[in-house]
Amino acid sequence: MKILLAEDDFASRKFMDKQLSRYGECDVMVDGEEAVDAFMMALEDDEPYDLACLDVMMPVMDGYQVLKAIRNIEKQKKIPKDKCVKVVMTTALNEERNVKMAFDLGCEAYVGKPIDVEKFEKVLKKLDLI
Amino acid sequence: MAEEYNTDTDSMLSVYLYENGQLLEKLEGIILEKQDEECFDDSDINEIFRIMHTIKGSSGIMMFENITKVAHKLEDVFYYLRESHPDDVPHMELVEKVLDVSDFITGEIEKIKEGDEPDGDESKLLEELDEFLSRIKGEIKKQGIRLPKTNKSEEPAQFYVAPVAEADSHFYKIVIHYKNDTQMSNIRAYSATYALKEIAEDLLYSPDDILSNEASSDTILAEGFHMILQTKTGKDDVLNLIGSCETEEIDFEEITAEDFGREVVNLGRDDLDPVAEPEHDSPAPKEEKKAAPAPGDYVVKTKAAGKGKTLAKNQPKQQTIISVNVEKMDALMDLIGELVIAEAVVLQNPDLKVPGLELGNFQKASAQLSKITTELQEVIMSMRMMPLTNTFQKMKRIVFDASRKLGKDIELEVIGENTEVDKNIIEHISDPLMHLVRNSVDHGIEEDVEDRKAYGKPEKGKITLEAKNEGGKVYICVKDDGKGLNKEKLFDKAMANGLIDSSKEITDFQDKEIYRFITLPGFSTKEQVTELSGRGVGMDVVVKNIQDIGGRLDIESVEHEGSEMTLIIPLTLAIINGIVVQVENSLFVIETASIKEFVRVSEDSLIQEPGGEEYLVLRGECYSFIRLNERYHLSDAHEKIDDGIVVVLEHEGTQVCVLIDKLLQEQEIVVKPIPPYVKKVKGLSGCTQLGDGSIALILDIGGLILSEERR
Repeated sequence: MKILLAEDDFASRKFMDKQLSRYGECDVMVDGEEAVDAFMMALEDDEPYDLACLDVMMPVMDGYQVLKAIRNIEKQKKIPKDKCVKVVMTTALNEERNVKMAFDLGCEAYVGKPIDVEKFEKVLKKLDLI
Repeated sequence: MAEEYNTDTDSMLSVYLYENGQLLEKLEGIILEKQDEECFDDSDINEIFRIMHTIKGSSGIMMFENITKVAHKLEDVFYYLRESHPDDVPHMELVEKVLDVSDFITGEIEKIKEGDEPDGDESKLLEELDEFLSRIKGEIKKQGIRLPKTNKSEEPAQFYVAPVAEADSHFYKIVIHYKNDTQMSNIRAYSATYALKEIAEDLLYSPDDILSNEASSDTILAEGFHMILQTKTGKDDVLNLIGSCETEEIDFEEITAEDFGREVVNLGRDDLDPVAEPEHDSPAPKEEKKAAPAPGDYVVKTKAAGKGKTLAKNQPKQQTIISVNVEKMDALMDLIGELVIAEAVVLQNPDLKVPGLELGNFQKASAQLSKITTELQEVIMSMRMMPLTNTFQKMKRIVFDASRKLGKDIELEVIGENTEVDKNIIEHISDPLMHLVRNSVDHGIEEDVEDRKAYGKPEKGKITLEAKNEGGKVYICVKDDGKGLNKEKLFDKAMANGLIDSSKEITDFQDKEIYRFITLPGFSTKEQVTELSGRGVGMDVVVKNIQDIGGRLDIESVEHEGSEMTLIIPLTLAIINGIVVQVENSLFVIETASIKEFVRVSEDSLIQEPGGEEYLVLRGECYSFIRLNERYHLSDAHEKIDDGIVVVLEHEGTQVCVLIDKLLQEQEIVVKPIPPYVKKVKGLSGCTQLGDGSIALILDIGGLILSEERR
C-alpha cells in the first residue's frame, strides 16, 4: 500500500515513518503544501495513496486544510467513495471540537499523540488497509 | 462526579464520559420510574432505544468494543419491541436486563475514568441478552406478527484513538542567574535549553534569540535567563540537566497548569493558538467557550505574526450558565475565609484601641465592609449548593435492588429531593445514606408479610426519604414503617458483646441512649448476616462519616411501628458563628448554637465524687462539670468556680458545664483543620485565627462529652 505522511516535527516524523513502513511504501512530507502536491502528483501518475497520515500543526497549510483540499480534489475528479484515500489525523490537538471538525471534514480516524500504536493498528485493520 | 477524571489532556474522552454518564442516568431514571408498571410505553422504548444507539455509536468511535457490543445487543432488543409491539414481554426480566447492561457500562466507564482499559467480559451478558431476544422473537412469531427486518447496524466509519495515558506533567518556572563575569552566557543558556529539550514537552525561554543575537548575553546577565518548562521529569533530574557550571543561582518553582498558560503569554508567545495552551477546565459541552476551530487555524507560522490574533472570534456570546472547576471554587472559598479573618484583623486592630480616637467614620465604613463580606459568603455558599436529587436517585436504585434480592415488597417515597446542600457535604453523605437505606430495607421492614398484617400495616413496606433545610442545618431522614427497634434486645446484645458496663441495668439508660448502641463498633442484632448488611460494621462508620462533617445521627423508634434515622448536618463546613472565650492564656471558640447559657455559680453548688468526677447542681438539675484548664493542662487558670464563668453546653440532648475564665467576643469563625503534625486531641475540632493574629482552638462539644463519659 502507498502511504502519505505529513509531519513537520522531526522526531514524530521518524517514528511514524518507521511504524508505517511496515505496512507499505511511505512518502514523507514536511509541510501541508507538500502533502497536497504529493497527493496531486500521485493521482496524476495514477498511483494514488491508500492512506494519508496528517499532522495538524504544520507550516504553510495545516492538517485540516490539507484534509479539506484532498477531499475537494477527490470530489472534483469524481473519484468513487471506496477509492478515496483513507485519512488519519495525528495530533496532540484532541479537543472534542477539533475532533468533530476533522470528522466533518471527512477524515477516517483521529489519533491523539502520543500515539497508541496497538489501537492505531486496529484502526488500520478496521479501515481494511492491512 | 467530575472530580477524579484523569482526562484533562483529552477532552474527547471527557466529553464521551460526560455524555454517556448523563445518558445512563437518564436510562436508570426511566427504568426505575416504570419498574412497577406492566410494560414500557412507546415513548420509553423509543427513548431507551435512542440512548443505547447513542452509546453504541460513541463507544464505537472511541473503540471501546465491549461497551459497543453490549449496547448494540440491548438496542436490538428494543428495536424488536419498538417495531413489533409484542405482548407478554416479561417486564420485570426486561427491567433487570436493562439494569444489568447499565451496570456493566457504568462499571466500564468507571474503569476508563480511572485510566484503565475497559476490559470487562461482555460475553455472558451478551448470551443472556441473546437468549432473551430469541424468546421475544419466538413470542412475536407466536402472535403472528411479522418479524421486522433485522436491525442493521452500521459500523462507525470514523474512529478516535485516545493518546497513550501518561504520568501527569509538571510545570516549572526556572530562572537562571549566571555569574557576572560569565563569558558567552547566551551559549550556556542555549546548552541548557538543548539539554532540556530531551525531556521537555513544552519549553519556552526569554530572551528567545539567544543564538542569533549576541547582545542577548547581556540581557541574560542582567535579568537572568527565564524558562518555563512542561515535562514529566522530576525537579532533581531537571536541575541535573541544566547543570550548575558558572551559574550563580537557579530559581526553581513548580507552577500549576493555569500559571503555565499565563507564563506562556508573559513570555510573549502570542503566535500560539490558545487551544494549544494547557487547558484544564472541566468539560462543558453545553457551551462553547471558544469559537469552533476552522481549517487554517493551525498553520505553524515561522515568524511571529503581528500582535493580536486576527481570527475575529471574539463576538460576545450570550451565556447564562458556565461550569467552573471545583478547585477554583474551593480556592475562592478559602480566599473568602481569609478575607473574613483579614476583616477581623482590621476591625479589631489594637491600634484602634487608643483612647480618645474619633472612630465614627471608621465604624460606618467597617459596617459596610462587614455587610459586603457577609454577602460574599452567602453568594459563594449558594454557588456551591447542589440539590440532593442525584443522591436520592441512587437510593431509589438501592431500594429496588435490595428489596428484590430479599423478596420484600417495598415502596420508596422521596420528599424534598430539591433541597440544596454544599457539594462537599453531598459527597460525604452519599455512603452513610446508602447504609441507612439498606439497613431500613434489610432490618427495618419485616420479612414476613403476616407480621405486618398482625400489626395492621399494609402488606407493602414503605420507606420515606426526606430532606429539609432548617435553621442552618440540613435534616435528612430515612423512615421505615417496619418492626422498629427492640430496646430489650439491643440492651442484651450490647451487654453480651461487652459494649456496656455489666453493672448497669436497662433502666439506667434513656431510650435514645439504648438506640445509640447500634452505632457502636461491633454491634449487630441481626442473627443472620445477609448479603446486604448485618456485620455490625456500618452504623459506626456511618456515625463517624457524619461526625467528620460536623453532623450527627438521631435515632427514633417505636417498636412495631417503625424507626426513623435522621442525619443532621450543617449547611456548610467552613464558617461558623462562635464565641471566643479565654482560659488562662489560651483561647477557645465555642459554636454559638451549642451554648445554652452563661452562669456564675458559687463553690457550694459543686459536688465532688470520690472518683474525682465533679458535678454541678444548677436549679436542681445535675450536670457533669469540666474544667478546661485541667483537661488541657493549663496552669494559672481560675481554680475557684466563683471567679470564672460557667458555660452550659448542649450536644445531642446531653448537657455539660464548662468552666472558663473570661468571655471575649462573638464573631464569625473560619474553621481550619488542626495541622496533621499535632496529634489528635480529644474535644477539639479545629482551630482558627482571630483578629489580632492569635490562634484559638475550636471546642468540639460532642467529643468533649464523649471523652467525659469514657473517663
